[in-house]
Parts: sequence; C-alpha cells; structure tokens
Amino acid sequence: MNLTREEIIEAVNGALVNEMELDPAELAPEKTFFDDLGLDSLDMVDLMIGLQRKFGVSLRDNEEIKKVRTLGDVYDFFEKYQAELTRQAEAAKKQAEQPANNP
Amino acid sequence: MNGLKRIVITGCGIYSALGDTPAELFDNLAQGKSAVVRAGEEEHFLPTAPAPRDPDRFRALPRTLRRAMAPSACFTAMAGLAALADCGLTREELLELNAGCAVGSTMGSVSALRDGYSLVLSGQSDRLSPMHFFKSASHTTAFNLSRTLGLQGAIYSPCSACASGLQAMGLGAALIASGQTEVMFCGGADETGSEVSGSFALMYAHAPAEGNPEDSPQPFSAHRKGLVCGEGAAVFCLEEYEHAKRRGAHIYGEIIGYASNSGGTGLSQSDAPAIARCMTATCAMAGIAPSDIDYISAHATSTLQGDAAEAAAIREVFGDSVPVSSLKGHLGHTLGASGPLEMAAVFEMARHDLLIPTRNLREVAEDCAGIDHVMAPREKKIRVFFKNSFAFGGINASLICKINV
Repeated sequence: MNLTREEIIEAVNGALVNEMELDPAELAPEKTFFDDLGLDSLDMVDLMIGLQRKFGVSLRDNEEIKKVRTLGDVYDFFEKYQAELTRQAEAAKKQAEQPANNP
Repeated sequence: MNGLKRIVITGCGIYSALGDTPAELFDNLAQGKSAVVRAGEEEHFLPTAPAPRDPDRFRALPRTLRRAMAPSACFTAMAGLAALADCGLTREELLELNAGCAVGSTMGSVSALRDGYSLVLSGQSDRLSPMHFFKSASHTTAFNLSRTLGLQGAIYSPCSACASGLQAMGLGAALIASGQTEVMFCGGADETGSEVSGSFALMYAHAPAEGNPEDSPQPFSAHRKGLVCGEGAAVFCLEEYEHAKRRGAHIYGEIIGYASNSGGTGLSQSDAPAIARCMTATCAMAGIAPSDIDYISAHATSTLQGDAAEAAAIREVFGDSVPVSSLKGHLGHTLGASGPLEMAAVFEMARHDLLIPTRNLREVAEDCAGIDHVMAPREKKIRVFFKNSFAFGGINASLICKINV
C-alpha cells in the first residue's frame, strides 16, 4: 500500500465523486458524512466495500472505521491503518532476520 | 362492477423500447417498427427486444433513489414519474389521499440477481453491496415506485410472471372499488436477460437465433417458432371516478371488469377452457356481452401452444366478430410489463380510431383461425376493449376497459 496522505485523499474523494456522485468542491476534511454530505449508513457500507478493495484491506470487523464521522476521520484512519500495517510488516521482517537460536 | 365504486384511469406513463410516451409508442407501432434485435453471445444470439438502459437517462432519478434500483425498477420509476405528471395530482395531494401502488414483475431483476450470485459463487461475497437486496428483491418495482412518488398508502407487488402487471391493475382496481383508497399507481415492469430467454429456449418456446431478428416473433402465424423477450414498464394512475370527476381530471377510460383464474393443473401449457372461463368471468363482472367488445389486445406471444389456446378461447367466447391483435410482434414479450404497456398502446389506438395489426402475421395458423385477426391497420372506433395476460403456472388475467366515460 504505502500511499501518501494526498494519495489517500485522492482515492477516498474519487470514490465519493464516482460512486456517491458528490461535488468535488464539497469534499472538505471537516464535512460530516451524514449531516453535511447527505450520506446514510447504507452509503457508508457501500463506500467502505469500495475502499477496502482499493486499499487491499478488510474493514468488515474493524471497530475504528465504524467511529468515523468526518471525511478527515477517514483520511486519518487510512493513514494510521497504513502506518500500523507498515510497522507490523517491519517487525515481522526483523523477527525473520534474527538468527535461529537453536540449542 | 355493480355496488362498487367506479375506477377510472387518469394518468399513464411508459418506458419502452419503442418510446417513452404513449404517443411515441403509437407512432412507432403505426409505422410497423420492431424493437427486436439480435442479442450477444451471453444470450446465445437469440432475438431480443431491449429498452434503453443508458445511465444518463436514469439520472433523472436522484442517486438516493437510483442506488436501490436495477433496470426494472428504473423503468418503473421513469414510467411512474410520467404517470404522476400526467394525472395532474401533486405529491401533497397523494399524501392527503393516502395513495398507494401495485406493481409487479416476473422476478424482480434478473441482472441484479446475476450480479449477486456471480460474486457469491466466485467467493467474493465481501464485495456484495447492501443495495443488492433492494435491486433484486421480487418487490423491487413496487417499493422503488413508492419511494419515487413518496406514496404512503397500500403497497403490493404481484409476482405472477407475465401476468404480474395486469394482476397489479386488477388489484389496484379492487382496492378502489371496495372504497379502501381513492388513488393507486398500478402497472408492471420487467427486464430481459439470459436467465429468462434461456428458460423459454429450453422449453422450445423461444424464437430461434437464425434469421432476421425483426421477423420474430410471429403471433398467431402458421410459421411462429416462439416468443422474443422484451422489457420496459407502464404505470397508470387509477382513481375513484367521483374523485376524478370533481377535480376535472382527464379520464382515459374506466376499468369495468377484471378477473383472474388458473387452470389448476398446467405448468407451462396454456389451458383454453380456463382462459375462456377467465374471459367470460371478466365480461360478467363488467355486465356486458362479449359482442359489446370492440377490440381484444391479445396476450399471444408467438408460442405454439399459447397462441392456439388463446385463439381457441377467443373463438369460443367471442366468435369471429371481435378484432384481435397482439403487439408482441413489435415489442417482443415484455413479460410482467406486457399487460399495462400494451394497454397504454390501446388507449392511443382508441384516440386515433386505428387498430394496430399483429406484426409478422401474414399467414394465420390453422389452430389460430376462426377469429377476426387484424392483419393490416384498420380504422375502428374503440369504445370498450379487452386485455389478456397469461403466465407460466397456469395463471390467466383479463381486464375490460371502457373508453367513453
């Protein structure tokens, strides 16, 4: 994955414009999905199905994604999620590189 | 319908392969145009009669509504909006009147069902949209029409294959006649696809892939080889007569008789005695003699057994004195939409005093003879007409409409 924040914003906003037919000018980080952008819970599920494919992750049982309220929350979520995945991958790699400690 | 309230039609909207308005549809029918083309490989190159599915057309529907709609529901919503505009009632009035709807289709949406199963069977269930259910549910046409028009009254969705649309008309009429409501939006819609055409083909009831597509289907013809699936929608505004009169609404006609029955035994084969009983019951409900009918809009899809059974029943009930034609030769068999959609065309025929002939009928089959086939445009005043719709499962439905109210 390893996308920059700008690339994450582009991917998320692209889904909102293409799938939800929102005006790109409306897509500011502080906008809330329900009150400001007029989406509902079914739209959010659809949006997440599209984004999990785009980012190659599974969001179905992710508790954090269920807490997002604003567009900025989603950018932050994917940025943190990506950083966490990178950290886990590096830790796994480091562990694999350690010499075997056989008796 | 003695002792019951009278039901009139005060609005009409259609979405079809041959036009989005009844006037455009009539013009194309009068010119003898065919909607039939050859399908692609997915449908084994069978002839088919598709309606426009251009997404830009459907953008007339807000995304919040459209997201739950497959083509069948889009067709319905487009026809419903046209019916609403035509009837002259406002959305506020629909709420005050507690208006409802009854719209049916064969199986919801074959394309949405296919899309869903494709994902499930390929192990991609996690890609299923929550909208999948709403697009493919058997009552998708009804609740999507209800949402599009903001209806809060009764909502029904007869699911009786190719009789769905006419049964919806009969159901709406019954609710108004019994005084339960004053306004119902009723009709049918359907979409074609390989699941539908393939089923007919398996039963040797579909027109073949070979030859010029426009030469199929051939209702009542000696050379008929099966039907051609089509698609579209028609929605009517049914209204209690006194209410329509008080507000000075344009009245297309009055539904004076409706009946539905079953042969009780048949699966795919039509049953002439049952059809005759259904037509006789419809005349009895209307309180008229068969000789009072000016025109019969036949179901006749171009199947070997179905056309013969319908012709036999018409022969028994009406003899050879009532003109008969089928519009399947122009539009293909629009399945659940066929009853209401063909009715919309008949109202235009009545307006022009012109009967549209059965397209592709040049030589009447022996087993379809003995009735008055309209084989060329014929000037004729239509005061009362008869509409038939039949369906797999032995279902028959007939409706009588009086033009001059």
